[in-house]
Amino acid sequence: MTWIDFPLYSSISISLWILGLLFLLISYKKESIFKFANLLFVAGWLTLILFVIKLWIELDRPPMRTLGETRLWYATFLPLIGFLTYIRWKYKWFLAYSIVMASMFLAINYLNPETYSKTLMPALQSPWFIPHVLVYLFSYAVLAASSIVAIKGWYDSYKGNFKMETLKLADNLVYIGFAFLTLGLLFGALWAKEAWGHYWTWDPKEVWAFLTWMGYLIYIHYRNFHIHKSQQALTILALAFVVLLVCWFGVNYLPVANTSVHTYTNY
Amino acid sequence: MSENNIKIQRNLWENPWGYVESFFIGFGLMVTGFFLEVFVSTSNTFTLSYPFNLIFLIGYVLVLFVLYKWFASTQIIRWLTKVPASITSIVLVTLLVMIMGIIPQIPSESNIITNLGLNHITSNWAFLLILFQFLTCLGLISIKRILQFKWSNFGFILNHLGLFLALIAGVLGTGDLQRLSINVYEGKPSWIATDAQKNEIELPFAFYLKDFIIDEYHPKLALIDNTTGSISHNNGKNLYLVEKGEKYTFKNFEVTVDEFLPNSGRIGDRYEKVNEIGSPPSAAITVKNIENDSIQSAWISSGSFRYPYESLKISDEYSMVMTIPEVKKFSSDIDILTKEGERISTVLEVNKPFKHNGWKIYQLSYDDKMGKWSDLSVLELVKDPWLPLIYIGIFMMIAGSFYMFWMGNKITKNQE
Repeated sequence: MTWIDFPLYSSISISLWILGLLFLLISYKKESIFKFANLLFVAGWLTLILFVIKLWIELDRPPMRTLGETRLWYATFLPLIGFLTYIRWKYKWFLAYSIVMASMFLAINYLNPETYSKTLMPALQSPWFIPHVLVYLFSYAVLAASSIVAIKGWYDSYKGNFKMETLKLADNLVYIGFAFLTLGLLFGALWAKEAWGHYWTWDPKEVWAFLTWMGYLIYIHYRNFHIHKSQQALTILALAFVVLLVCWFGVNYLPVANTSVHTYTNY
Repeated sequence: MSENNIKIQRNLWENPWGYVESFFIGFGLMVTGFFLEVFVSTSNTFTLSYPFNLIFLIGYVLVLFVLYKWFASTQIIRWLTKVPASITSIVLVTLLVMIMGIIPQIPSESNIITNLGLNHITSNWAFLLILFQFLTCLGLISIKRILQFKWSNFGFILNHLGLFLALIAGVLGTGDLQRLSINVYEGKPSWIATDAQKNEIELPFAFYLKDFIIDEYHPKLALIDNTTGSISHNNGKNLYLVEKGEKYTFKNFEVTVDEFLPNSGRIGDRYEKVNEIGSPPSAAITVKNIENDSIQSAWISSGSFRYPYESLKISDEYSMVMTIPEVKKFSSDIDILTKEGERISTVLEVNKPFKHNGWKIYQLSYDDKMGKWSDLSVLELVKDPWLPLIYIGIFMMIAGSFYMFWMGNKITKNQE
């Protein structure tokens, strides 16, 4: 069983990344070092991707059902987002953040070992399953990054050196994340029509996904028309992320949980 | 004092209306809605069905168009097409949906929840009024951008008009949505379906179930605590599938699966392959206690509706059991018989519905007590004539998302 190999792969990835982070730190003093940091990040990332591919083949189903499996994808996507953002905006700190977060998710999975179940209920056996979940996870990862930017913005304003650039980075991440959030929601609706006969049933998870969508919708509209009210925008962004977290983990603990078709973790 | 009051009021409702006015109006609508919930009988929910919903839609869009075209300079239309009204209505819709996300939408014992209708938000007057305001904003803004069309507005129109269409078609379409379920037994034609209120409805065609098939996964192995009877490893999750030849470790026990039979019956001191209704899966396992090297072998079985399960007690504390197999796939091989004497053969499966005569037919469930021996298949029939409009809206939003991803944020780009 490939899941048994997880400690090996994840520790290789994490070691490579920690080394890369050290190089990245040094590169603030000596720029030429930075490419080694990148090389190490990519090597660690490829190791992780190899593990995901092996796991997928071994399980004979997409590894996207349990919380542990979604954490694995989260860890896989964060570095990609870090790389893309770096290429576009040249924020080293952001790359470092994405790598640290990815390592953290690997560490959580390492501490909560799961021998992944192979069974997949009939409703989940659909061509919509993979796009729906992947698009959502990508979206969550990008939106999580945007909220980290919001926290940095708060911290900067507290220190009195807030730069509008920070909020612009947040904007870009929210736009990308929101586009994917919309796709995830709509793919879910199209899938639900095929599987349950209706595209929208106000299932608790759907309700909270809708709320998350509305939260970021408020941010986007607010930013479009109140360009200079950065503090309020940062607050809205942080609140929207709270709603996202409720949608992701919190729903299972709410009084509405037992009426949801999305709580698969009990299996 | 009166002078002072007048001054404040004038300031408050002065041109143009901002957030404070927007929230006043929004809360006004909500309070009105809750009053209606409390004082107007709510035994039947408010829905429009054909042709009234279609008339309503056409009328509504025409009114919005007329309002924008010829009354755009009035206070209320200017307010509705501006940002404070949009953001406020988004916030209020969010607020009401959040109630839905916290309070279970089922009959409640609490008087407050029942009287205010907080357990049926989707048909709550407060929600409908707020949604109406939201749609009015959205519709007016879409019309505004369409009339002032520029290519740079393309993504905006896709997203806003798409949402408008999907939402309004969804709301108005509920009146025409039909969901029926029908029990179909192997070897018998059936044409009487029932709706959600258990009314019997005769279909213009009949179903004939030729075969109902279930594929199962192998059962799983679990370590059970003898005193509590609950699974005592991995928090009850992610159990191992029973596969012949596999070796698994549970705490300090090493379990080897020597043999696995998907359909079997007990014959003497062992299980043999049999093929009859209710024959459960079974496995021969060998358990080695790593601490004291003791070994024991036995047959275990998950049992079925006809036969009891069998477990193996491996210590004072623990037993090995086999779980009931999970369903991998279930499908119905059916014929649809029309009044014209046509016979259409198809296989229905979860996630693979079949379209016939305006109906979409779904595999819904079966007799789960009988499991794979069920000769009952429950089908669901759905007719939703508003679906094309909803799909147009959804696909516009999908296109809008790609546009948004590609083009990014206007402000950020302009200020670069």
